[in-house]
Amino acid sequence: MNRTAPYRLMSREERIDWWAGQWRRTLPGLITLGLVVLMTAPIFAPLPLMPQLGLLGVFIWATFQPAMMPPWLAFVIGIVSDLLFGLPLGVNATLLPLTAMFVRGFEARFGHHVYRFDWVMLAAVALVYQVLGWQAARFAGNATGFAPLLVQWLTTVAAYPAVVTLCAALQRRFIGPRS
Amino acid sequence: MDWPPPSRRMSTTRREQNLALLGALASGAVIAVALVLLLLSRANPEGSARLRGTAIDLVAPVWSVVRVPFDLVGTGLGYVGDYIGAASRNRDLEKLTAEQARALQTQAAIKSENQQLRSLLKVVTPERKVIASARIAGASSGGVVRSAVVSAGSDSGVTVGQPVRVAAGLVGRTVEVGSSATRVLLLTDANSRIPVTIVRTGQSALVVGASRALVEVRERVGAETPLVAGDRLVTSGDGGVFPPGIPVAVVVNGGQEPPLARPFVNPAGLGMVLIESAYLPVPATVPVDANTVAVPREAGGGRAKPSIITSTPRATASALPPPPPPPVTAPVVTATPAAPALKFHPKAMNVPLAAPVLSPTDNGRLSAPADAPAAPPQ
Repeated sequence: MNRTAPYRLMSREERIDWWAGQWRRTLPGLITLGLVVLMTAPIFAPLPLMPQLGLLGVFIWATFQPAMMPPWLAFVIGIVSDLLFGLPLGVNATLLPLTAMFVRGFEARFGHHVYRFDWVMLAAVALVYQVLGWQAARFAGNATGFAPLLVQWLTTVAAYPAVVTLCAALQRRFIGPRS
Repeated sequence: MDWPPPSRRMSTTRREQNLALLGALASGAVIAVALVLLLLSRANPEGSARLRGTAIDLVAPVWSVVRVPFDLVGTGLGYVGDYIGAASRNRDLEKLTAEQARALQTQAAIKSENQQLRSLLKVVTPERKVIASARIAGASSGGVVRSAVVSAGSDSGVTVGQPVRVAAGLVGRTVEVGSSATRVLLLTDANSRIPVTIVRTGQSALVVGASRALVEVRERVGAETPLVAGDRLVTSGDGGVFPPGIPVAVVVNGGQEPPLARPFVNPAGLGMVLIESAYLPVPATVPVDANTVAVPREAGGGRAKPSIITSTPRATASALPPPPPPPVTAPVVTATPAAPALKFHPKAMNVPLAAPVLSPTDNGRLSAPADAPAAPPQ
């Protein structure tokens, strides 16, 4: 991660350490995929209470480690989500890379923010995500009402603190305290 | 001394700019690919069936294992709960058993009478067959899709379009099949349409999901007859997927339009489900070669474009000095030699005899004479 010296200037041990640490680059993607699989838990609530954990993962890792959550990775995660949830292929595959691109551009332009601001940003992003996802699914032949998606939006916003705490702990443990 | 030299710093900046540009291009390409996928899934929703089957194959074993401790805890709590109020429940059950024993005698008489009547009328009842019993191992409980994943797939003989039920009632039908897992569209999904009969009135209707706990009763025949709370809805057998008589839902508010009903089965409490064969599956259509079969023009059959075909020889005749041998277009229908090639008699296809009939020509394409009145082939 934090390469202090160019590769050619490293000692043998440093190089081994560097290579052994490379798996950590896959951590954001793997965690987000794990969150997507978690969304397929056999829990049947009368309302769609399952939060959009995949969106949360992409949003949080795009703020923590923009280089490790590039839009193409969000695209792959989106394809997997569409396949796992039985959605028309392309709904999450479009919206998750857009989210990653938006967060990356926003952070590059306006810098980092306090925690509460990120939460409000997530609420706005998730609402747009639900509206666009609703329309994309409708376009591909899965027409539904919007009220259930609003419920899911609320649970997504409510789940943000838990997921961000988990991701922050993992980031500090495996990648480093600085983002 | 300035080190590193400024020119180098400049080139680094340019390199960064180029990388940023490349990154933006890659992101744009990714979005474009995703939008094309969305377009494709609108045009051909079944295009990714195999991938979808593989995806649920991968995720179902995970939840089959993960849910085991939760099931154990649930079973244990159930055992404990059984002891609470056991005596009073036992008294109620004994009363109920006595009532039902009387009803059972009446039913036995009705059943034998029914069997006699059926044999007199030579009623053929399609065989119902359980394909597999499977454990629920996954779900999609988002706002758009409401489905369950069960742990049996094409290896067990499951195909798309089979009813899924438990003893208490209907769960849904299979929509995506992997080799060892299957996605079941639940009644509550907005794309679910179940043809039902209202037991009290005999009306047929559709039960339509709305991504919430209750389902809607739509397309009711005889909508002026109001439903009342407590009306039972059972499958009607229309459409050929669901066998008739499976409990679906019970109406909770009849006065409203559309009436709402609560499904008998809540997938939350289910462990195992039964997948049955489709009741009366649509027979596999025999592939019919359009070149050898006469299709009436009214049916809009195939690629018949009479004006183009009839105008072509005229155009070539005027343009080319040596006229080519005229294509056999005019006598196609009136000529009796063409008749043996016809597989369907126009009469059998419920077509008026005067209607022009398309039939094969020598060049193998369909043609309809605009001028020649059609005569029925022998």
